[in-house]
Amino acid sequence: MDVLNNLLSGFQTALSFKNVYLCFIGCVWGTMVGVLPGVGPLAGITLLIPVTFGLDPTGAIIMLAGIYYGAMYGGSTTSILMNIPGESASVVTCIDGYQLTLKGRGGAALFISAWGSWVGGTLSVIGLMLLTPFLANFATKFGPPEMFAILLIAFILLGSLGSGSFFKTMPMVLLGFLISTVGMDPLTGTLRFTHGIKELYDGIDFIPVAMGAFGIAEILITTEESLVRIIHKVKFRELLPTREELRASWAPIFRGSGIGFIIGLLPGSAHVLASFISYISEKRLGKRSEEFGTGRIEGVAGPETANNAASGSAMIPFLGLGIPTGPAPAVMMIALMIHGVRPGPLFISEQPHIFWGLVASMYIGNVILVILNLPLVSLFISLLRIPFRILFPLILLICLVGTYSVNASLFELFVLLGFGVFGYVFRKLEFDIAPFILAMIIGPMIEMAFRQSLMRSGGSFSIFWGSPISLVLILFSCLLFLWNIYRGLRPHKASWEKALEEGK
Amino acid sequence: MNKNRAAGLLFLIVGIYGSVLSLQLPLGNWREPGPGMLPLGLSILLSVSGLLWLIIGKEKKGEKRKEEKAAWHGVTQKLTTPLKILGVTLAFILVIERLGYLLTSSLYLFLLFFWISRYRWWLAIGLSLLISVGSWYFFGRILSVRLPQGFLL
Repeated sequence: MDVLNNLLSGFQTALSFKNVYLCFIGCVWGTMVGVLPGVGPLAGITLLIPVTFGLDPTGAIIMLAGIYYGAMYGGSTTSILMNIPGESASVVTCIDGYQLTLKGRGGAALFISAWGSWVGGTLSVIGLMLLTPFLANFATKFGPPEMFAILLIAFILLGSLGSGSFFKTMPMVLLGFLISTVGMDPLTGTLRFTHGIKELYDGIDFIPVAMGAFGIAEILITTEESLVRIIHKVKFRELLPTREELRASWAPIFRGSGIGFIIGLLPGSAHVLASFISYISEKRLGKRSEEFGTGRIEGVAGPETANNAASGSAMIPFLGLGIPTGPAPAVMMIALMIHGVRPGPLFISEQPHIFWGLVASMYIGNVILVILNLPLVSLFISLLRIPFRILFPLILLICLVGTYSVNASLFELFVLLGFGVFGYVFRKLEFDIAPFILAMIIGPMIEMAFRQSLMRSGGSFSIFWGSPISLVLILFSCLLFLWNIYRGLRPHKASWEKALEEGK
Repeated sequence: MNKNRAAGLLFLIVGIYGSVLSLQLPLGNWREPGPGMLPLGLSILLSVSGLLWLIIGKEKKGEKRKEEKAAWHGVTQKLTTPLKILGVTLAFILVIERLGYLLTSSLYLFLLFFWISRYRWWLAIGLSLLISVGSWYFFGRILSVRLPQGFLL
């Protein structure tokens, strides 16, 4: 009953004219950034952070979350119609989606994709609504050792899910962690690696780093080569799937919801992994598996549902534990912190109107997105007709203004540019940037939990296996670490590992 | 040097640099870990990772080696546009507080449209003025973002 009452009050918050409007803006902007290759949800959310300054925290998170799940809807459109994934989670959709377009069934693929996204998105919001309060309540019992143990698991998972190769991702995680230590030590006040630069006393801000390493680096990579785009037109009546296509997509949609929800809880490239595992499952379970890759509707329904379900469940660790599992939830967390709200175990009890307002808005947003993505698909596709040589100066300017607007700091513009070069160089060297960014966020938390635990135990490491919870978590992280070493050393890679690498 | 070894070298340099600086900080002990303890541990691990990539990131044989060489061969040509963009953006950052947002963004966009996007000068001027005035109005007036005014305003 509590859940229903809370949800009802959440709907009262979310259904105010202002919040519905903000949810709509977030969904439209999210679909646009999802459609445009090179502008992912991370850049989309970061660019609108300045817009949230005049809003209350509830309105701000409703709009930013709308961008996040909206981008997942939009990403499928270009995959199906143009064979260009709008964002990395839609790479798998290209395989059968584009083949369906070539067969004249692109409209039906878009319909099934939107329908599956709605089912996956809605089911994952139900999971989010039920699981987050439970997880947050459980996490209030955590002391520093338990927090350290859970962060250690997140840390190792970052290394294992980044780009499929543990040995390639781990140095990036270590580098991100090391950079997070720049600034004043929170326990002793000692300055670390500041070189006398006043602007570094508070550490390196996450937003210019993320904008540079993703946004600027993406522009630099894209401008190396020109893109030739062939756009297939879709008529409204072509959107209707046949009875056979509808029947074939039911089971993949429900399986994709489950797969996406579970994988979305893991840190790293959960969306890419969720859509790929869903595709592999459908191929194995399908009656005519040899036809996958030639335009099977199941190959669109499963992965598209899975990546939307993953976007809902990825919000659970961030809202319930204060641990973001991906760069986009990390930016949303920073945006909430700018408004003086800190996600974590006490978030739901202290700010119930924000949490339940967000949950309710996600139900509303999923409906808005289905309406936006079906009849208006041609409108969004027309965005791709804007030449990239007009688009990239605009994106660069927005990155610069977006970064400057947060603290009005010229120094942060240098950080933006510096990390743009950093992101470009490491992308060229085929090293994944996302684990680096996430380690920057998780780093200070893990250091604090580690040092507080040792200070509490008087220097004894037994505190980390003193309680049953931390013992189980530490054992699990050890097993995970060993499994990753084995995975990194064996000569042949699993198909999902190859997919993660290709997804980058 | 292949990509893995180049990355390994970068990790090693940062790791050694971090270790040297961390050793200058109080390390503390297990009872009371100091501010330098964790950065030192991380720097050492990073150096080891870098060293491993330098050792195991061997040259590949056959086809892959050829592909890698081809990738390095075209690198100077590919770098031209990104370097131009970085240079123009650096100039933007250096002058924005002196010239103000409107003038700097107009010049910045003009250079990008004319020099990199290769639009005709009159179209580049038109586009840059339109976008800079539009963005100034959107960010500065509608969203009340504090934009540098410079000497013009």
